[in-house]
Amino acid sequence: MEYALLQAVFLPLLLSPIAYIIGRKLGTTPAMWFTFGILLYSTILIILSVLSGTTEEHYPWTEQFGEFGFLLDGLASPFAIIIYLLSTILVFYSKPYMIHRFHEQYAEENHEIVSTNGHSTLIESSSLSNYVNAKSGLYFALYLVFAMGMLGTVLSTNLIEFYVFFEVMLIPGFFLVALWGAGPRRKIGLMFLLWTHAGAVVLLLGFLMIGLSLGSFDFADIHESEIPQNILMLSAIAISIGLGVKMAVFMYHIWLPWVHGSAPTPISALLSPAMIGIGAYGIFRLIVEFLPNTFADLSIWFHIWGLVTMIYGGAMALMQDDIKRLLAYSSISQMGYILFGIGSMSVLGLSGAEMMYVTHALGKGILFMMAGIIIVKVGTRNISQLGGLAGKMPITAVCAVIGALTIMGVPPTSGFMGEWTLFYGALETAIKDGSTIRAVTFGLGLVATVLTMSYILWMLKRVFFGKLPEHLEHVKEGSWYMTAPMMVLAGFTVVLGIYPDIFFKQIIPYMNGVLGV
Amino acid sequence: MTTEVLGLPLEIGASSAWLIWILPFIAALIMPGIGKISKHATGYVAVGFALMSAISAASLIPMALEAHEIHDQISWIDSIGLKAGVLADPLSIIMANVVGWISFLIMIYSTGYMKGDKSITRFWFWMLFFIGSMQLIVLSDNLLQVFFGWEGVGLASYALISFWYRDKKKDHVGVEGRTVLGMLDYYAPTHAGMKAFIMTKVGDVMMIAGMLLIFLFAGTFGFRELMHDTTWATTMSAQGLLVPAFVLLFGGAIGKSAQFPLNEWLLEAMTGPTAVSALIHAATMVKAGVFLVMRLAPLVFALSAAGILADQFFEIILIVGAVTALLLGLQGMVNSEIKKVLAYSTGSQIGYMMMVLGIAGLSQQFVNGYTAGFFHLISHAMFKASLFMAAGSLLHVVGSRFMTDMGGLRKNMKKTYAFMWAAGLGLMGAPFITTGFWSKDSIFGAIYTSGHPWALPIFTIAVLTAVITAFYTTRMLGLVFFGSKSKHVKKMEAEGHHIHEAPLSMWVPYGILAVLTIVIGLVGLSFEGGLHEIFTNYLEESFGIYSVHNEIENSILPGFLDGINPVALTASLSAFGIGTGLGYVFYIGRWVDPVQFVNSNILFSTFHKVILNRFYLNAIIYWCFVVSPLWLSRGVFRYFEQTAIDYGMNNGLQKAVGWSAKVVQGTQTGVTQSYLFVFGAGLLFVVLILLI
Repeated sequence: MEYALLQAVFLPLLLSPIAYIIGRKLGTTPAMWFTFGILLYSTILIILSVLSGTTEEHYPWTEQFGEFGFLLDGLASPFAIIIYLLSTILVFYSKPYMIHRFHEQYAEENHEIVSTNGHSTLIESSSLSNYVNAKSGLYFALYLVFAMGMLGTVLSTNLIEFYVFFEVMLIPGFFLVALWGAGPRRKIGLMFLLWTHAGAVVLLLGFLMIGLSLGSFDFADIHESEIPQNILMLSAIAISIGLGVKMAVFMYHIWLPWVHGSAPTPISALLSPAMIGIGAYGIFRLIVEFLPNTFADLSIWFHIWGLVTMIYGGAMALMQDDIKRLLAYSSISQMGYILFGIGSMSVLGLSGAEMMYVTHALGKGILFMMAGIIIVKVGTRNISQLGGLAGKMPITAVCAVIGALTIMGVPPTSGFMGEWTLFYGALETAIKDGSTIRAVTFGLGLVATVLTMSYILWMLKRVFFGKLPEHLEHVKEGSWYMTAPMMVLAGFTVVLGIYPDIFFKQIIPYMNGVLGV
Repeated sequence: MTTEVLGLPLEIGASSAWLIWILPFIAALIMPGIGKISKHATGYVAVGFALMSAISAASLIPMALEAHEIHDQISWIDSIGLKAGVLADPLSIIMANVVGWISFLIMIYSTGYMKGDKSITRFWFWMLFFIGSMQLIVLSDNLLQVFFGWEGVGLASYALISFWYRDKKKDHVGVEGRTVLGMLDYYAPTHAGMKAFIMTKVGDVMMIAGMLLIFLFAGTFGFRELMHDTTWATTMSAQGLLVPAFVLLFGGAIGKSAQFPLNEWLLEAMTGPTAVSALIHAATMVKAGVFLVMRLAPLVFALSAAGILADQFFEIILIVGAVTALLLGLQGMVNSEIKKVLAYSTGSQIGYMMMVLGIAGLSQQFVNGYTAGFFHLISHAMFKASLFMAAGSLLHVVGSRFMTDMGGLRKNMKKTYAFMWAAGLGLMGAPFITTGFWSKDSIFGAIYTSGHPWALPIFTIAVLTAVITAFYTTRMLGLVFFGSKSKHVKKMEAEGHHIHEAPLSMWVPYGILAVLTIVIGLVGLSFEGGLHEIFTNYLEESFGIYSVHNEIENSILPGFLDGINPVALTASLSAFGIGTGLGYVFYIGRWVDPVQFVNSNILFSTFHKVILNRFYLNAIIYWCFVVSPLWLSRGVFRYFEQTAIDYGMNNGLQKAVGWSAKVVQGTQTGVTQSYLFVFGAGLLFVVLILLI
């Protein structure tokens, strides 16, 4: 298939204005189907490319930067599949959630008009539907660009290209948060833009150091031995920090709880598992693969940093009352697992880390959708006001439990497959190197899994079990638009947990190659 | 390895071995669909599938008797080179039958016990999931697959313990308002489920560490592969990692089997429906830990026979078992909730099994301890399932979990009364007629004749625990059936409730098990002999563990007690006598008032208080692992996350930008003179630089 990857990346971008027009002229549902169609087609292209083995495409670009290419190999394919899978499924989920949000916002804005004019105006239904249509057009257009930016990043074959896509996903992200977020959304949107952009700039510095000293930005031209020693470590640290901000690891996580808490829920469900994990992809590609010797020096720091993030995120998640903020801290903790796995510097450890990305995307995707259903159907996001909802929304509860099990790493969900390989990697290096620090981090890492389990189970208990407060008597199950995507992901995580070779088949040979085993 | 067993091709045996654990899962998966069609049908389907699974297990019994084994593998995670498989050897076949048939009876009981429950579909789903997971543990041929079942069991227990998730008052356990060291001793179902899941997870985490250590050196999770080539053990032993790895694996068993110090979840697990308690205690959950040790112990013992020493592994099992047996047995003497007494008793009895498995590895005659442990597992499974189901009937009828709310029920519930006596006698170890007697006696014998330096102290603990067991069982029966009716029962009768026998579907299952306890008990010695022979062959063929055949000469005992150790026999007879006698004095004859007796003496009352407060272990665990971490997290959240990170970095940055903007703003005065002045100064500066 020629141009398959090019289509998969650029079709959503090129057609996003049409999605806007369709939304504006025809309404939410046609825009939703149109977006779904594009993304489904692109997803199928990606899956077909993965099935046909490693796929590469190269296109001429500028003299200075080199080629514009796409590479779908063992590392990129799980990321690519998960990103588009989630994006495709969440299109459905977006519809009821965003309509709910637009209505809320319409009421808010009209209320403002009312108060400034001093007299009440009848809300005309036609003006409301016009409002909703216009907004949903914009939403789906931004959504497409956002998805495309994420995919572009993981398929890039050039440092500058990587950077461009890295920033491209930021811009729609900013607008999505600033336009339809909860709370002080413009401020939070700015915060998101500012922090992740600052991270990206540090990343760019690292890229420039490497690219300028090599005279080429193409991935194919990056050879660690040719980079001058004095800037090698510096650039690796710059790249790690830049990606660390994206991954929201400990000390760089400032933005994440705010943004994930505030963003419209389908976007949180994309941001949290899919987007921040791209930081992990960057570390795999840029540091583990291209700078193996530097990676060997840095790995222990990744390991410890990951461990601290795991525990810190988990401990903070215990303290949250806002359900989406809880999940956001949980994402921080999960990114810690991934970094911990990367730091293990062993084949199965690295494979486990990548598997954690996949499983976190599935599990956290489900949990964010659960939060969204609660926000829409109950109207609150405070855990203290919830309880006993399992009887009122059984499908949501079942899916949430499966999502929770995925995050906790309980078989038969995919979480277990990620977790045991990851910890095996940590143990392997600890024993082989005879390193006490690594043995201790391994032990503490296992303790962190108990912490993860505690905050997740406690959340489930407070949301779904216990006495049903009186004000929740009328609550109903979410619509099929919202529950069906959850069920798809829940099914997938169980299938993957029983048969992990779907992804391991690609990941493990790649990791073997990278670590030279 | 033959391709044909008893005229049947091996494939048929292999497929029934797979079916044993797959059938319950299939049933669980279709359960929601059936529930949609007809709630009534779910029970039949669930019981039917449990029966089919049990029949598949039974079809393998001939193979176990012939000491054949089936090892069938399919490819699983090819990229790591892992295979899935079933291993049906005598150990797993007998275990699968115990699990399968007892679960089947409990399922029948559940049709009566759970009648009319709105969430019946969910109940059946998790019961089947529970059974399937347990059978998966039993039949897996490798540790990773065992872990799937292992966590499945944990998950099912979580779901079933908190089955009544509405947290109604009647579903709690403990005494409302009672605190120990400031910790409430009163638990809601959802809390209890969470506690069980997290506490067993602590064990699981240890287990996974052990598993990974072994996989690291051996490159396989398979039980047979580990035995086939033992170079890994030599390497591990040289690095001093062999014993830690196995002890970590045992950590998993500590969690699942509720052994000290991870025993506290078992009590709160009583919030689940009683059918669930019966399943957890008799067939699934807690027996998983014992089974894991049984899977591993011959392997470790065979290694030590090959010169790779791992004695500490068995010593730790021995100590943990002994401590648990005594600790939980003591607590069983004072509790007033009938299910809690039974729960303590389970922990204590599992302690026996662990104890004897530990001693088996430390003695020359491995098979004696091994058989004794397994025999006790079987007899405990029967009488404990029976007792729990009977207790469920009592709860069902009386509507209270406290024994003090029962009393004098022997006339109203004659069948339950009789069956509880039969099963209770099994637990007490009534001489010569119950399985409990023979299995306990063989445990005593194995410990006494082990020749290990610790044999005597451990033997003392075992006998002491037997006295305690007989006492608390008698106490339970006395409180429930004897004496006068309690106020609660009288009130119920005054309100027109008729205290009556439980329905047929409920008393038949526990009746069967109670009768079996006696029937097998009557032929206990030959039953044990049979098991002994099977395991002797099994250990020889699969592990190369040969037992020393030494005839007991000039036994002073009569002919039908051939092979029994006289000291052990005396000990078990007197333990039964003393324990039951004391129980009779206090609770059946009611010659002495237990409350007065305890309060008569400061020593007694202090001791009573300590064991009633669970040796403060539960409260200490809560303080250390729940309260403190939460307190610490809150501190970090307030003073670091919200202050340093949120306020410091976010708002700080914002303020800094705002402040610098103000500084810059300050220069934008709009006053021409000041602009001109700065302009002039700058010009002067540039000119000066140029000149110099």
